[in-house]
Amino acid sequence: MGLHLNLSLHKLPFMLVGVAFIATSSIVNAGQSELGPRVTIPESSGDKCILPASEMRRRHPDLLKHDRIQTLREGLRANADGSMLDGSLKQCVNCHAIKSDDKYVRIDNNEHFCVSCHKYAAVSIDCFQCHRDIPEGSSNFHALSGTKKHYGNVLPGVYTLTNKDVANIAPEVRSDDN
Amino acid sequence: MTINIDDKNNENQVEESSRRNFIFGSVAAAGLTIAPGVMLYQTAGARSLSDFSLSEKASSNVRWGMLVDTTKQVDWNKCVEACNKEHGLNNETHSRDDQKTQYIRVVNVKNKGTGYSMSLPVMCQHCENAPCVDVCPTGASMKRADGIVLVDRHRCIGCRYCMMACPYKARSFVHEVLTDQTENTPRGKGCVESCNMCVNRIDNGQLPACVEASEGAIIFGDLNDPQSDISQLLAKHGSRQIRADLKLNPGVHYQGI
Repeated sequence: MGLHLNLSLHKLPFMLVGVAFIATSSIVNAGQSELGPRVTIPESSGDKCILPASEMRRRHPDLLKHDRIQTLREGLRANADGSMLDGSLKQCVNCHAIKSDDKYVRIDNNEHFCVSCHKYAAVSIDCFQCHRDIPEGSSNFHALSGTKKHYGNVLPGVYTLTNKDVANIAPEVRSDDN
Repeated sequence: MTINIDDKNNENQVEESSRRNFIFGSVAAAGLTIAPGVMLYQTAGARSLSDFSLSEKASSNVRWGMLVDTTKQVDWNKCVEACNKEHGLNNETHSRDDQKTQYIRVVNVKNKGTGYSMSLPVMCQHCENAPCVDVCPTGASMKRADGIVLVDRHRCIGCRYCMMACPYKARSFVHEVLTDQTENTPRGKGCVESCNMCVNRIDNGQLPACVEASEGAIIFGDLNDPQSDISQLLAKHGSRQIRADLKLNPGVHYQGI
């Protein structure tokens, strides 16, 4: 018994340090709105995206999955008014392709639009093992204009993930309809 | 266009069984006949390819098919080149020649007895009863409503059962990482692929690339529409299907073989 007590007393300073550390870090976290390293949202061409940025962050996997079934299995490749489907990966790439030194950056480059965020989030995507990762000269849809415009609600620049963003990444977007 | 029982009986005189099946099929598609000459509804009649648009779903009223006239002295390699260009094929760098993807193979045949030789393009035959669709364990190998047989690469696991099942050796497997695919034909390592009749072009109201390059030796059209060029030609001259004995009813017909 005495031996046990001795040991506990011996550990006490470490325990106190540990408790203090946990307390301070949780206090710091509670007051902090920014988490982790920063992610860069690159510039895009095109006037506006199909949905506000916050919606796109949540729903882009669903849009892509839904429309890939329509396109491939049902042969529906455009809306009735002739505009492209919301989940057209081709159109995503056309607007969001990033140029570096006047050349489009490929999927193996961290500056690629999709990679820039997916690498940050540690979510690996295999879309571009088959799909073309940069725009093609001849497109069914509008060609990429040379001038870069800011689109919609997201301005290019450096962003950090906030607690709100994390809460926004809802589990339902991972629904697997395939 | 009105098809009644009398027409059907007349057309039954076409000798070829495949042709006959096709006529029956088109009668069924044309509408329910309650009495000779009285139709409850009928299809819209002849529609040219350009009437179809990107915003339209593939319809089972249509069955796309091709008629290859091998008697025309055409360099089939031109069709292969057009196909390769359209789909961005032949960009493998590590694969052996026999591993590289081919959507169209040019097959040379020779009759040793007579010395007569000829060549014909063999691509996916877009069977009505496709064995590749039957055997696919994941539902990746599929037949679209308009009869085009495709691989859904989102579901393909690369097991290659379909390659074994296909009697036409029409499918290829991608053995290596690919880059620089075309926009319209995504393709990559680990998936099986084959001629897709240029679905992206058809959906856009354009002819398949090989048909455009064939200088009229390949006719493309709707087999379900008796007024279409291909149906008229088939009705007039007949055709042969490769391995018709398997009763797969391919959508690709040949003349001169």
